[in-house]
Amino acid sequence: MSGGGNKKKPTKAQGWEEAGSEFYQESYPTDGEFDALQRDVNPKHLATLLPSKQTRAAATIRPRTNDNRTIRRQTSSRSRRDSTVHRRASTAADVQVSMLPDLSENLSNEQTTWEEIMQIKAMPVPMSQKKEMKAKILNEPNLRLQGYEQLNWKRRKIWRHFASRLKEFNTKLELWKNSLKRIEGHFGTGVVAYFIFLKYLLFLNLFIFLIIFLFIILPTLLVNLNDDSEQNVTETDNVVLDLIQGTGFMERSILFYGFYSNQTFNYTINETVMYYNFPLAYVCIAVLYFGVSLMSIVKSAANGFKDRVIEGEGQFYQYCNLIFGGWDFCIHNERSAGIKHKAIFNEIRACLEIERLVEMKQNRTKNEKTRLIIIRIIVNIIVLGTLAGCGCAIYYALMFSKEKQKTALENNEADFLLFIYGFIPSITIVCSNVLVPFLLKYLVTFEKYNPTFVIRITLMRTVLLRLASIFTLYASLVEITEDDNITCWETFVGQQIYKLVLTDFATHILLTFFINFPRALVARHVKNSFVRMVGEQSFDLPKHVLDVVYLQTLCWLGCFYAPLLSVMSFVIFFLLFYIKKFACLVNSQPSSTIYRASRSNSMFMIVLLISFVAAVIPMAYSFSEVRPSPSCGPFRHLHSVWYEVESTFYSTPNWVQDIISFLTTAGFAVPVFLILFLLLYYFKAVNSANRQMVIVLKNQLVLEGHDKQFLLERLSKFMKQQQEHQKRLRQIDVLQDGDTNISSN
Amino acid sequence: MGNKLLTFTEQQLENYQDCTFFTRKEILRRLRVHKKFREIRPDLVPKRMRQNEQVTIRVPLEDVVEKLPELRENPFKQRICEVFSRDGKGNLSFEDILDLLSVFSEQAPRDIKVYYAFKIYDFDNDRHIGTEDLDSALVLLMRQELSPEDRQQIIEKVIEEADVDGDGKLSFMEFEHVITRAPDFLSTFHIRI
Repeated sequence: MSGGGNKKKPTKAQGWEEAGSEFYQESYPTDGEFDALQRDVNPKHLATLLPSKQTRAAATIRPRTNDNRTIRRQTSSRSRRDSTVHRRASTAADVQVSMLPDLSENLSNEQTTWEEIMQIKAMPVPMSQKKEMKAKILNEPNLRLQGYEQLNWKRRKIWRHFASRLKEFNTKLELWKNSLKRIEGHFGTGVVAYFIFLKYLLFLNLFIFLIIFLFIILPTLLVNLNDDSEQNVTETDNVVLDLIQGTGFMERSILFYGFYSNQTFNYTINETVMYYNFPLAYVCIAVLYFGVSLMSIVKSAANGFKDRVIEGEGQFYQYCNLIFGGWDFCIHNERSAGIKHKAIFNEIRACLEIERLVEMKQNRTKNEKTRLIIIRIIVNIIVLGTLAGCGCAIYYALMFSKEKQKTALENNEADFLLFIYGFIPSITIVCSNVLVPFLLKYLVTFEKYNPTFVIRITLMRTVLLRLASIFTLYASLVEITEDDNITCWETFVGQQIYKLVLTDFATHILLTFFINFPRALVARHVKNSFVRMVGEQSFDLPKHVLDVVYLQTLCWLGCFYAPLLSVMSFVIFFLLFYIKKFACLVNSQPSSTIYRASRSNSMFMIVLLISFVAAVIPMAYSFSEVRPSPSCGPFRHLHSVWYEVESTFYSTPNWVQDIISFLTTAGFAVPVFLILFLLLYYFKAVNSANRQMVIVLKNQLVLEGHDKQFLLERLSKFMKQQQEHQKRLRQIDVLQDGDTNISSN
Repeated sequence: MGNKLLTFTEQQLENYQDCTFFTRKEILRRLRVHKKFREIRPDLVPKRMRQNEQVTIRVPLEDVVEKLPELRENPFKQRICEVFSRDGKGNLSFEDILDLLSVFSEQAPRDIKVYYAFKIYDFDNDRHIGTEDLDSALVLLMRQELSPEDRQQIIEKVIEEADVDGDGKLSFMEFEHVITRAPDFLSTFHIRI
């Protein structure tokens, strides 16, 4: 194993070396060096002669020998000192330094020259040497490519040129680049990851808006059909109240579901009649935007998943990661740098603390353990109870609001009262979202988990709270519409969600500018330490992530019932960036917990995915089970939304129907499941075998290390012996000489 | 287009584009590397570098660590300058700074970053990260807020985690092995300009 490169060399025809370390040459000590060693025999000094310790960076591309001009490693013998080793390019993801072993062509052409030049970048040598290398490559005569290869090469060159221009153009267009840089300089990469996440959601919403606009809104606007739907008649006299509540003229507008027709438009192009089945388009667009959102989330999550797998599998080198990857090289603000130092200090102290906690945990007596388990169960019950309580509160708030609105209408009370009653459910939800997390934070201190787990479980509970509130709202809405006789329940649902979005956004503005900003000002200018403690805030990342994800969930839920909600959420996200930026830069101090970019990203994506699933389930249920209103919207007269898709399906040609029905039969599904299961089992087995292999190889490496030490010591002992022997021989010689001298004299 | 003709020759820009991870437009316009370099010592750095000035003119270490905003707050700034300078003492020429920024840019692949990170953390240049190197790194990182016993404990833990062949210090291969499993390295080891 040690010096493994040695054994491989004679077997490879071209002399390729697959040493593990990329940039380091191997070189073998010459006899001269051995002689030098004779005088000073020290195992440590000997060790420096080992091939693996001779590190000389890959300095030059091999000058091509006279007989052939391919770049390859020269066969090494003990006398050659400056041979270079390059690792073969393995993965496409990282740029590897590899010289292509050109077996067939002896001459270089433009393409290989260009590729070699591109690889100079990744060499860890100073710039002047790179320039020399480039000059050397360029000075070699190279052929022009002929025929087909030339076309290929030209095409690639043009494509590359175009791609680099495109990249340049993109960086010019990049949104909010300066803001991101400022935030990064002050707060580090973890917080910037949040804002990048916000940007990603913004573009997702833009996409949703575009497809809704193109396929649903635009046709409706273009075809000005006379609409015979009946609408709810809730109207106030005040335009502003109407605007905020979504009643009155807003209700009959394009914002809500009730406006859209259920007819199939037909239009003629060149005397062929084309049909545009509007209801089908409506439901297909909904499915499309859910599908695209899911794919985009999964793709982003998969990018971070690779890192997590490496992190979770085998070992996570906690201390090394902290020391070597802890300092964020982006920070260039003095205050942030000071805080970052403190943050790293806190984290290291926390690590040491965790070690002590683990020890303590092992030393816990049985009594303490059972007591802790009981406490944890109680806390969990309390948390669940709180969530249930919130759900009930929302339900009753909705009922109460409905009742009050009904009586207020009958008694013809002031519009303003109606307005208040209409907003009661939204306010309840928002209040519970703001207040319950404090309770959760207080409760979790009793459970005595370690700090990372505390963060995770608090986050999970808060996510559960928000989703529970959405679920309850949805369920109560369904119930209301079944009880009462609202003529157009989808519009009603759309209105509720619209109001909720507005309330949430208004709360953000209120909290950021009118509550937290004065707090921060006070904390900055008043020297009292108690006031400081109350006033200073840190940028609590999980809370802000949840805000954003909550809005996105509402958007997903609401776009079916209020298509224009997509453009609203686009605008809201755009403004939210600036609001959050203000909250971050002006209101908050850099927090003393380090948020790591990698862990942050995976946290965002997991929370988003959970919310997505929570949004899809009610939608799927309402598509298939709930009956659409008979008098308004694209799906009137049908007994479920999905029915439209079904009827279209049945009108497709027979062979399509046959294929799809075959796909759903047991004859197809069972073998597919079996195969998937077998694949899963196979990969799991390979995975665990690899893990075992890693442990075995690691042990072997350690043993080899010991072997090496042992051999070095023996070698040095032996050399010492030799030295002694030589010395004695020389002494004897000298004495003999002396004797002969004396005898000759 | 005016800038281009004034400060560098076409050939130089071509070389820089090929030898770093930046495009020529980035070097000139967006990043303004030459401007930053000039701001460190306006008296030393000329406006035009059409001949050999990018190699010959060097800015001393003390000025770089004070005036270059990207490095000013970095605890390892001195070591970074030493690694990237040709004379090993930290005096940087224009090409050295360009090299530095290129390695720390986002487009640089992981391998080259790992290589330079190893050199930076190897304070005594013995091609190993030993206990003294780790101690110096910790002192710089913590600004001496940790007691020596704590530092010793942490160093022991690091060596325990990363050292495989049992020689009590980290060689490049061990370092690389550990760093590829550190998920934050790639995102923190970069300077945004």
